[in-house]
Amino acid sequence: MAEVHVIGQILGASGFPESSLFCKWKVQIGSAWRVLQGDHEGQTQVDEPSDKPMANWCHPIDLHFATRGLQGWPKFHLQVWHQDLYGRNELYSYGFCHIPISPGSHEIDCVTWRPKGSLLEELKTQFIGGSSQLKNPDLVSSSAELYKLRTVSMGKIHLRLHVIVRNFDKYGVEF
Amino acid sequence: MNTKPTSFLVFINGAIEHAEVNDFDDLYLRFSYVIGKDWKICSGLEEGTTQIAHKSVQIGSKIVFNFPLEATFRSTNPFGWPQLVISGYGLDVFGNDIVRGYGTTHIPISPGRHRIRIPLFVPRSSSKFQQLLAWFFGRRPEFIDPKVIAFNAGREMTRVRSHGYIQVVFNVVTKDIEELGYRIESKHPSHTSQQQFDNNETPYVDNYHA
Repeated sequence: MAEVHVIGQILGASGFPESSLFCKWKVQIGSAWRVLQGDHEGQTQVDEPSDKPMANWCHPIDLHFATRGLQGWPKFHLQVWHQDLYGRNELYSYGFCHIPISPGSHEIDCVTWRPKGSLLEELKTQFIGGSSQLKNPDLVSSSAELYKLRTVSMGKIHLRLHVIVRNFDKYGVEF
Repeated sequence: MNTKPTSFLVFINGAIEHAEVNDFDDLYLRFSYVIGKDWKICSGLEEGTTQIAHKSVQIGSKIVFNFPLEATFRSTNPFGWPQLVISGYGLDVFGNDIVRGYGTTHIPISPGRHRIRIPLFVPRSSSKFQQLLAWFFGRRPEFIDPKVIAFNAGREMTRVRSHGYIQVVFNVVTKDIEELGYRIESKHPSHTSQQQFDNNETPYVDNYHA
């Protein structure tokens, strides 16, 4: 079995309308894959930066996968949430990014979007808060279903990931 | 000498160069390494404390430490790759030792020289009332063990405010990691590095591989 290590951090996010953000993350893998060590989902701290428009999460990622094939290479599902003054959480955006395949260190900027509601829903969001959410968050990386949505662009999530692979050359896979 | 290695080594040296913060003039740092269960520190300090550094009129907002780091790690498994955890402290007007920030980063994995900016953040009080109490009694919220910031578990409970950063330089060398079957660098350089396009937007990291 070939092995993949992913080590790094979810650094933070920028370009969102408000600060005081946090991120829910999850790593999606194909059926040939297995998580041997490490957490594959989690939630970051809520950061309200005092001087800069970038929220810093510094959230550590350390994952160890074993795999029997390349299909279903792991990818991150990311959700950015906003926590308001009263401690209420509302969804800001969805995003996904593939974990890079080539070994080495990678700086990733994951662009995100949020679902666009009807005019009434958008008005409601504007005045009361709370936002439209997907019933099934796994939709964010399904290329066959996304055409049904109307979306609005949001900010970026920054990640720093280092990929280490092992024993792929035994099977003739080149990086 | 032909025996196959059973573990690999990661040697690092470098320095905590400076901190850049606006809200206060003096700072000292404590650092420690968080490593996985397969890892061992074979040489170097496992934790330490820097001098108490002050700002100066000439240098502006930078608090210079120039504090040396040097360590060797040994492991059989990259899982639990060492993380540098830094916590900053300072004295307030009444002489209380208070927390000025926490920050963490993984030790760079690819050999070479790396300059990394670590953002600093402090935990926030969970309510307005506690915020008032904290201000009144000079007891601000802090982590009992700064090492919690190196783990995934329990992070969703914390609310923080980030301010400023620490700049750290690492020189990294690895030994026997390829012998154990691990590939940490690609043979083919990536043609569309995202970093090149967004360089002006993300100024928080620069790697010196020249």
